[in-house]
Amino acid sequence: MSLLDATQAALRLLLSGDPDLWGIVGVSLSVTLRAMLIAMPVGISLGYLLATLRFPGRRPLIVIVQGLLASPTVVVGLLLYLLLSRQGVFGQLQLLFSQTAMVIGQVVIALPVLIAFSLSAIQGADPRARETAVALGASPPRVAWTMLVEVRFALMAAVCNAFGRVVSEIGCSLMVGGNIAGVTRNIPTAIALETSKGDFAQGIALGIVLMVVALGINTAFAFFQGESQR
Amino acid sequence: MSTLTVNTLRKSFGQRRLLSIETLSLVAGKSYALTGENGSGKSTLLRILAGIEAPDSGRGHYGAASFDWQPYPDSLRREVIYVHQQPYLFHTSVADNIAYGLRARGVGPGQRERLIAAAIAWARLERLLTTPPQKLSGGERQRVALARAWVLSPKVLLLDEPTANLDAESRQQTIDLLQGLCAPQCTTVVACHDRDLIAMPGMQRLHLVGGRIEQPSTAAE
Ligand SMILES: Nc1ncnc2c1ncn2[C@@H]1O[C@H](COP(=O)(O)OP(=O)(O)OP(=O)(O)O)[C@@H](O)[C@H]1O
Ligand SMILES: [Mg+2]
Repeated sequence: MSLLDATQAALRLLLSGDPDLWGIVGVSLSVTLRAMLIAMPVGISLGYLLATLRFPGRRPLIVIVQGLLASPTVVVGLLLYLLLSRQGVFGQLQLLFSQTAMVIGQVVIALPVLIAFSLSAIQGADPRARETAVALGASPPRVAWTMLVEVRFALMAAVCNAFGRVVSEIGCSLMVGGNIAGVTRNIPTAIALETSKGDFAQGIALGIVLMVVALGINTAFAFFQGESQR
Repeated sequence: MSTLTVNTLRKSFGQRRLLSIETLSLVAGKSYALTGENGSGKSTLLRILAGIEAPDSGRGHYGAASFDWQPYPDSLRREVIYVHQQPYLFHTSVADNIAYGLRARGVGPGQRERLIAAAIAWARLERLLTTPPQKLSGGERQRVALARAWVLSPKVLLLDEPTANLDAESRQQTIDLLQGLCAPQCTTVVACHDRDLIAMPGMQRLHLVGGRIEQPSTAAE
């Protein structure tokens, strides 16, 4: 099959609403959205605390978080695999090769991104913002909320960045998901494994979907970053 | 009606002792002009009085409260308001900025709306309501910041150079607002170099030099 034929077949798949194809897209989006919903509040709160609290070991902790930004997703997957496999500490939970395992993996991958970006967003905020909130009588939780609202565009940029990273990552999804059709097969694992079995059309179709998602996310990221620097 | 008194207040930055005040009493209902050269510590003193910064040591007394800034008491936080030298406006809306302190005090929506409307009328901000706060000019920001303070009816109002960096017209508008800023029982301290402010009726002078307060008997000599 030539590339042209494969592309035409891919477009037909996309437009015909092929259930297999859109099922795979659904797995990707559902897993990533759930992971982001968990990771966002946790990551942003931790970033805020790391930016505002002073405690021993804070600097090393920041260095570790920044180091984790570069952690290969396949290594995250490996560690999670070892924890979730039958002999692992959490083997009893029987989570390996489930969407839940993929969600956990993506949360772990998204967290350092969200923590590091919200940390720098809060640190980059005008110090008068906090002082003004305090001087007007805001309680510590209200001050925190005000600061997060003040840097909201930088936080949205952080969320886009994290989303883009996890939606396209393959290493961890493959390790702990296992590419099970209809269950844990998401866009990246399907492209990598099904294409090698000769299913070019599906691979190209999924590639197009992923590109569109990535483009949308990056456009949003650029927009939010621009807004946050105004 | 309470007098705010501080005793043996010390503040250093690094090796440099900036403030060393034995006693300073701000009598309820009086207005003070805090003068002193650039870098003499006017802003720092106001920020300490407002609880934004802590001194190295010192004791404060206000009404029944006696405190040492560790922590700064909530009762003061509600009644003492500080307006920055260059006010910061939250990136929300003009009305939301004015509402901020009211929300923090748990004022209900109905009363909040009434107070905000009154503050907007007081500072003549009607035409600026739809402008994003970060797009306002320096004088307009100052007016929003004053409205944001006024709406809380503070007992002690600390203003840091409210007329600095303003053109003649904005400066006059700000001075006009300052005349009506305080209820009669309210204590005001205005850090400034502005002669017209210092000469305002009823102003007493506090002069900061070498970290100490010199208090000439009256301003209108
Ligand atoms: N956080 C800080 N760290 C180190 N030095 C500081 C800090 N804050 C203020 N200072 C120093 O303390 C001195 C007094 O500053 P302050 O802002 O109180 O002066 P000021 O009287 O308000 O001056 P101006 O008239 O220029 O507003 C300055 O020399 C300043 O550099
Ligand atoms: Mg100053």
